[in-house]
Amino acid sequence: MSFSKTRTRITRTLAAVASVAALTFILLPAQAAAGLNIVATTSSLGALAREIGGDEAEVRVLAPPDRDAHYLDARPSFMAALRRADMLLELGAGLEEGWLPAAQRGANNRAINSGQPGHFRAADKVELRRSITMDGPNMGHVHEEGNPHFNADPLRMAELALALGQRMGELRPDHAEAFVQRAEAAAESLREHAEKLAERVEPDQRIVVYHEDLDYLEEWLPVEIVGYLEAAPGIPPTARHLRSLVDDLEGTEGTVLYAEFQPPRGAEFLERNLGWPTHAVPLDPPADSGLDGYLELMSTWAQALPQR
Amino acid sequence: MPHNTHLLRPALGGLTALALAVPTAATAQQWETRAGDRNWGLDISLILEGVYYNEMSRGISDPAGFDDGHDHGHDHGNGHDHGFDDGFNLGHSELVFEANLGDLFDGVLMIGFDEDHVEVEEAYLTTRALPGGFQVKAGKFLSDIGYINSRHVHDWDFVDRPLVNEYLFGDHGLQETGVQATWLAPTETYIQLGVELLQGDNSFIPYQGGGGTHTTNAGDDIRSSFSDVSGPRLVTAFAKFGPDLGPDHAMQFGVSGGYANTWQEETEHGSGLEEWDGDAWFAGLDAVYKYSSGRAYGHGDWRLQGEYFYREIDVDYQRREDQTTIAGNAQGSGKARQDGLYIQGVYGFAPRWEAGLRSEALGLTNRGLPTNEGSERNFAEPSFGTSYRHSAQVTFRPVEPVFLRAQLSQNDFVDEDGDRDRGLEFMLQLNVALGAHGAHRF
Repeated sequence: MSFSKTRTRITRTLAAVASVAALTFILLPAQAAAGLNIVATTSSLGALAREIGGDEAEVRVLAPPDRDAHYLDARPSFMAALRRADMLLELGAGLEEGWLPAAQRGANNRAINSGQPGHFRAADKVELRRSITMDGPNMGHVHEEGNPHFNADPLRMAELALALGQRMGELRPDHAEAFVQRAEAAAESLREHAEKLAERVEPDQRIVVYHEDLDYLEEWLPVEIVGYLEAAPGIPPTARHLRSLVDDLEGTEGTVLYAEFQPPRGAEFLERNLGWPTHAVPLDPPADSGLDGYLELMSTWAQALPQR
Repeated sequence: MPHNTHLLRPALGGLTALALAVPTAATAQQWETRAGDRNWGLDISLILEGVYYNEMSRGISDPAGFDDGHDHGHDHGNGHDHGFDDGFNLGHSELVFEANLGDLFDGVLMIGFDEDHVEVEEAYLTTRALPGGFQVKAGKFLSDIGYINSRHVHDWDFVDRPLVNEYLFGDHGLQETGVQATWLAPTETYIQLGVELLQGDNSFIPYQGGGGTHTTNAGDDIRSSFSDVSGPRLVTAFAKFGPDLGPDHAMQFGVSGGYANTWQEETEHGSGLEEWDGDAWFAGLDAVYKYSSGRAYGHGDWRLQGEYFYREIDVDYQRREDQTTIAGNAQGSGKARQDGLYIQGVYGFAPRWEAGLRSEALGLTNRGLPTNEGSERNFAEPSFGTSYRHSAQVTFRPVEPVFLRAQLSQNDFVDEDGDRDRGLEFMLQLNVALGAHGAHRF
């Protein structure tokens, strides 16, 4: 028998392929160290990064703003983006845990590994509100560390901006000063805008939301969350649960807010039975937004409530 | 019989050294764990499965050409019914441990079990800190050829493994011990290239090695003609491409293949010993498309997936009655050529509900191993017909880690005499992931 020829040929071919791959790797042009290549999981984080980075950063947002960032696929295109990134920004606290670790693992890029300076986990930088999922048994997804939807709070976003400017400066010391300055300016406009919007809203508003993704409105607007359309986080509204919500809220005034990607049926039920106005609002600014996009989103939230 | 492992082995050594040396050098750099980063512990998850199985009508248990009485490494135990008994079964459950060493290595241990077996399905280390887009995986793992091969039951859209994967690579798919190196190109389009050096010793790439003896009914001792070949005896390569198609669409195409420098199989008879000795190669294509509607709970989402694999086994054959006597005309060489494909689609027809269809063909090309069994004087590769299977499923996912799936499969297998018969089977699967189960791959 003489397969040895074939074998030699195949082995040689493989050896050749391996050498070519190795050479390619050695000869690859080193990335220009000027601009920061940033990948952000959500467009709220992307908006901060664009504002702070200015011309020294290129920002790519993974999660489409009209989708639930809890449930995405770890797409090949995400891995390709992370492969070339100097920095990964995530909200953290479990929001992206269904897909981001797989995308990070598939990116073959140490710079954005957990624990590296290029990995910025926003939840580590701010105090989180307690999540309703932390108390009692529940079937849905659990936010063990606290409520991760703090992008609905411009005051926390202001804190994040400062921490992010600091971190970007550590990665690109040449631009550190500019980053920190722009971060401070961004934090300032976030706080001012939040104050201005809050003053215009009628005091003591009561709202019902779909998921605990708008709870952080309580932190900066004169509102109180009085119910959730979901029976439990991750579990769609049930007829019985909606019925009991209506019984609880009968005879009171308020507003129903839910995200554009959430089914409107529960909100419509409350509108019919309580006469409360309902609004489908975005949770994040458009994918390519800078800070202006986020400020506009804040206005959208505030103006969904009765104005003075 | 010369073997070219002398090139493979240094390569293997080199890869391993690279994998170990680079992170060691890298530890000189400072890495720190940040407060609140919970990714540094041991994650344990338990995936439990129960299957209710009902064979409504019995067809042919095994497709012709893939289990032709020689038991070519294929042993389903009780015929081909997935090993399920009629009624309740503890399906395929898993205990998964995942941990990491800083950001240098990820380690995975995956133990699969059912009512009477426990086995280490995967136990491997993955590097996470190599420069230049490289990653090395070492240990026992499911090969990354094709699409479904590297995925576990919990991520499948149907209760059972596609026929082409099962009959070309085995009940666990291509599951081997060895080393894998992948490289991800720094491009806008996802381009991943990978090679694997694998031991090459399983029921589908059988290896006997030298030194065996068989005693016939007549009391003659026949010494095996096989020689020892040191591993790794199987090398695979794959490439995957994933263009960026915006927020609604995602795709991945793959091409993969493998070459085993040793393929040794024997069948012992009272009258003598049959031996096949040679090498084998396979190649395949895979494609996945996912549409995301943006509506809640998977409503309106589509997933399409398909794979094709072709295999060729090139062997010398001999049948001896004693140590030196070749049985009548039973010597020669030939090629077995076999293939198979499947295509499936799943649609989210309501929030948390999906339905899917799968069509499969096995042995569009179906020539078996050379043998002289048909006639003492006529040595040839037998030719067989094509077997088909069609399945439909409905899945309900009350919450993300739990699903309940009903599946109806009609198999339309051909037997070795070319007769066809249809069988119908019903399965009800409950699959629950408990604990910290990791992120889902694409």
